[in-house]
Amino acid sequence: MSHSQTREDGLIRKIKEQFPNDVKEARVIRRSRPEIVVVPEKIREVALFLRDQLGFDHANGVSGVDYNREGRFEIVYHTSSLQNKEMRDLVLAVKESIPRTSPKVTSLTSVWPGVEYFERETFEMFGITFEGHPRLEKLFLTDNWDGPPPLRKEVRFPTD
Amino acid sequence: MAVPEKPAPLAAVESAKTSESGAQTLTVSVGPQHSGSGHMRLIIELDGDIIVDAAPDPGYVHRGIEKICEVRNIIKSIPVIERPAIIDSSNLNHAYIKAIEELQGVEPPPRGKYLRCLLNEMNRIMSHLYWLSIYGVFLGHTTMFMWPLGDRELFIDLAERLTGARITHSYIVPGGVRRDLPQGLAEEAAKRTEYFEKRLDEYDKIFFNNPLFTSRSKGVGVLPKNQAIALGCTGPTLRGSGVDADLRKDEPYAAYSELDFEVPTRNEGDSYSRAVIRMDEMRESCKLIRQIVKEIPPGPIRRKAPIVVPRGEAYSRVESARGECSFYMIGEGGDKPYRVRYITGSYRNMAAIPVLLIGGHMADMPTAWWSVDYWPVEADR
Repeated sequence: MSHSQTREDGLIRKIKEQFPNDVKEARVIRRSRPEIVVVPEKIREVALFLRDQLGFDHANGVSGVDYNREGRFEIVYHTSSLQNKEMRDLVLAVKESIPRTSPKVTSLTSVWPGVEYFERETFEMFGITFEGHPRLEKLFLTDNWDGPPPLRKEVRFPTD
Repeated sequence: MAVPEKPAPLAAVESAKTSESGAQTLTVSVGPQHSGSGHMRLIIELDGDIIVDAAPDPGYVHRGIEKICEVRNIIKSIPVIERPAIIDSSNLNHAYIKAIEELQGVEPPPRGKYLRCLLNEMNRIMSHLYWLSIYGVFLGHTTMFMWPLGDRELFIDLAERLTGARITHSYIVPGGVRRDLPQGLAEEAAKRTEYFEKRLDEYDKIFFNNPLFTSRSKGVGVLPKNQAIALGCTGPTLRGSGVDADLRKDEPYAAYSELDFEVPTRNEGDSYSRAVIRMDEMRESCKLIRQIVKEIPPGPIRRKAPIVVPRGEAYSRVESARGECSFYMIGEGGDKPYRVRYITGSYRNMAAIPVLLIGGHMADMPTAWWSVDYWPVEADR
């Protein structure tokens, strides 16, 4: 346990050293689950550093979260490393927060091509635009869907 | 002599257009009516019989499970969590429960962990057999359709005796499992897995070593290792491209750290290697099942767990039959989660489908595509 914690602390230290002003928060929430909060303007630089210098070559998923009471969206990239065998259990959450009024972020498809479909889903489900995405269209929703982005909190579930 | 009129295009042919090079290409829709198993569409652009572009078009079986989870009590969500892949339901269920337990800080008792692994491995075999039967029918091999579906009943019966349900078991609950091992099931499981391993040798003879299969799958739909990693592929698709990643080894959960098994990998990255890996995985699962029923510790199967999602975040993942199934759960202290993010193996492997198809022949499309074991319902959720 302690060994694992040292590894995660070391990882966070390395990221903070490289981006002292752009990484707003960094913590270890659970064993092998560190997370960092990055300013949206620098997400691509941080992602490139993670991929090229720290070996995070694999994107596990992208999640949008609607914190409507705080007036913001959070986008979470979960990423892991396959090339470092001893780091395979580690999943790093890279978070960015944007105001609900201007939901626009930089796409990371150029860093991790695997996030293409996840970003498309976040686009249609939350109405968040990913700038630089090669094909920002609806993925799961029907083409003629004209309702609001369904995973936003103001959209009530029919039986709720 | 009058030139005969051009025949009307097939219903499946959407449009014909001319590419920049002057060659006429056709855009063909494969699906959405059960193009394999489950509704999804592949939009394929053809130059002659060569695929020049391919794009998956999912969403025909989207259920909005992430939204449903936000408005339901965590226990009520269990059956719907399992639905996306009813042939692999317990692995999906396991990932979901693991996220809740991580937030609650509850750990199941050792016997409960072993029972979870037991059902997970049965489900892995059931899922791979279902995949294999569809693969057989895709390649026109009727025997390979009948045999796996027949042999799948061996494990469905076992799962029914263990959980009370044939496919959607809802067996794994916060704190442990619902029911204990029934009397005689351990012996029966050992007997059936031994029989099934002999059957797998027969599968090899009739299908996997059969030139009808090997000549159509070797070198078809190649996914290079670096692309498999960059595209975020997972499960047998990733292992077929030479990456020995398996969460049961890399991040052992439940009782897997105490069990002895191998992770089959192959370097070719073609449809054949992805298919053979699933065969090897079924052999490993048989070994695991026998180990589990032999070494299962006595004791309670379930610990008390509150029906509440404590404030905080959790990211849990398990190795399901199609790869990593992960749950990102945010709790705010009530009996419903604030947000549930549900990502499955099929969803992640979807990115590999265009890579496998582009440049290949249309006739190789079923071989390449189904070798990923893309389950549309699991991808749409």
